[in-house]
Amino acid sequence: MTAAGIAGSRPLRRAQLVLALTLVTWVVLAVRLVQLQYTGHERFAERAIRQSRLVARLPARPGDILDRHGRVLATTVTARSLYLVPSRIESPGVIASQLATVLELDPSRLVARLAAARSRQFLWCRRRLSEDEAKRVRGLGLPEGTWGFRDEFLRRYPQGRLAAAVVGLRDIDGRGRGGLEQLHDERLAGRDGNRVLVRDARGRVIAVAAATASRPRDGRDVSSTIDAVIQLHAERALDRLVENYKPRGAVAIVMAPDTGEVLAMASWPAGDPNLPGQIAAEAWRNRAICDSFEPGSTFKPLIVAFALQRGVIARDEVFDCENGVYRMGPRVLHDHHPYGELGLVDVLVKSSNIGMAKIGERLKNRGLYEAAVAFGFGRVTGLGLPGEINGRLRRLAEWNRWSTGSVPMGHELTVTPLQLICGYAVLANRGRSVTPRLVPAPTSVATSPSAPSTGQVVSAELAEWMLAVPLRQVVERGTGRRARLPGIAVFGKTGTAQKRDPRTGRYSRTSHVASFVCGAPVERPRVLVLVVVDEPAASGPQTGGRVAAPAAASILKQTLAQPTRGPLAER
Amino acid sequence: MFFRFCSAIVLVVLVALAGTALEKRVLDLRRRLSRQEYRMDVLRERHARLRLETQQLGAPARMLPPATAAKPGRRTDGAAAGASQQ
Repeated sequence: MTAAGIAGSRPLRRAQLVLALTLVTWVVLAVRLVQLQYTGHERFAERAIRQSRLVARLPARPGDILDRHGRVLATTVTARSLYLVPSRIESPGVIASQLATVLELDPSRLVARLAAARSRQFLWCRRRLSEDEAKRVRGLGLPEGTWGFRDEFLRRYPQGRLAAAVVGLRDIDGRGRGGLEQLHDERLAGRDGNRVLVRDARGRVIAVAAATASRPRDGRDVSSTIDAVIQLHAERALDRLVENYKPRGAVAIVMAPDTGEVLAMASWPAGDPNLPGQIAAEAWRNRAICDSFEPGSTFKPLIVAFALQRGVIARDEVFDCENGVYRMGPRVLHDHHPYGELGLVDVLVKSSNIGMAKIGERLKNRGLYEAAVAFGFGRVTGLGLPGEINGRLRRLAEWNRWSTGSVPMGHELTVTPLQLICGYAVLANRGRSVTPRLVPAPTSVATSPSAPSTGQVVSAELAEWMLAVPLRQVVERGTGRRARLPGIAVFGKTGTAQKRDPRTGRYSRTSHVASFVCGAPVERPRVLVLVVVDEPAASGPQTGGRVAAPAAASILKQTLAQPTRGPLAER
Repeated sequence: MFFRFCSAIVLVVLVALAGTALEKRVLDLRRRLSRQEYRMDVLRERHARLRLETQQLGAPARMLPPATAAKPGRRTDGAAAGASQQ
């Protein structure tokens, strides 16, 4: 080849090389495009949407909880919550000290939190501020873009601590905790909505994608059977009782026996749900359903009614109470006052343990067990409140010959206050068992599968006799005399059960549970009241008749004085 | 030919103008709706606050003065004294 020919072919080769490289580049790009379009399409589309779209939650406003007359027990308002943007804060120490002055925060802790979240765009500083606090934060003049407010719902309880144990509360994230708040959480909470926001590359919101927004559906109100006025009287009665007797705890329940509607359920100690941080640990428990105790003598009328129904004793029968000392196998039973022969009515009026032990011998362990089951003990009542316990009713196989003497006087089993008042509701409801309820029947949640079905436990005539004769006479001339109300025929039964000493495993001589259950009027009971006092520290006898009966009678009197409206009205 | 062309242009412009007007109207209505929703939220919040306040002011605990302890029946100290099972 000549020199001229070589010189002429070089540019041509270079051109071919460039062309080839260009072609290869285009092919690579085309292949990549095809790959992106067909194999990675969904992944990238999803990433693009994720980067440009932001789903903002629109919280639903929770519904209110009302008492039976429409008084608000729990409602919701909006409050400002303060957030910080740690990634934009240049001097965390300065901001922390400024905020600490108006929000009573620990500045060093806030600095530590800001340091830990240095790269983040969002950090809650303090949620649900008061109006004053929000105003003070605005007045600080913090650097723009480093902080902001968000509106959040704040649950408020306008009645303060009234019925706090029944109402429960909503936690900082809006979930129901305890009481009606938890029981009806789904109904109260409603359904949150959302709004899709379109962001630019820097994350700033540039548009609202209205088509994809869904409106929140606010929660619905829940009307309870509680009457705030009756609840107030019950709580005030407990307050007086606590002042006088300094007990470990106390409970009062008011119920309409024919419907099972709980008109008041007071538990002491209690706290104000508006200030959850200040509620003592003991006050979180609703003792009406979470505590159980040996019922003592309040159990006796139920055993007597069951024994009469079974026909193992007669109403006019006389029992030899052995002058206060009775040997029952290896065990010696005592009455606190020596009695000779007592009629059945007097066995209850004078609350003779020996008389009851003899009735227990007639019923035998199986009959006693069946009585306890028939009156609803050993299982939840069906009220539905979270935390309700079964009480303790051992299996029949675990009962022994001691049980025959102990169970008829209300030992060897434990009951919740709610179970006990439900047992008496059987007598006050013409012998039919009743399921307690905290919401009126149409909107009631389904009762638990283990809830007792309403059924005839004893005959209507027998139930009426139990109220009109023995239980009426307990108040007229027996241990419940302090519950007499002028002009009102009250029936009732006292109970004073020794508590078991956990150290010795024996019954304590100093610790008691004093209780009193009563109702009125005898002919057609409209109201039942139970007061239970745990370890009253009285200087004198800590009996149910002395400690609990006056409080129960006071509540009964106030309840009967309420205007007869709604389910309480004469029908 | 020219007349037809001009007519087509005018038609397109008119349709575009009508579309723009419609879009503005829609935006205006959406803005009004949004404002009404905001007002509704404000009113609902005010209603909730006023309701809370009235409920607090009219709470039974405020309205009913603490009554003195009821004294049902007469005292009978002897009967129940000393009983651990009553």
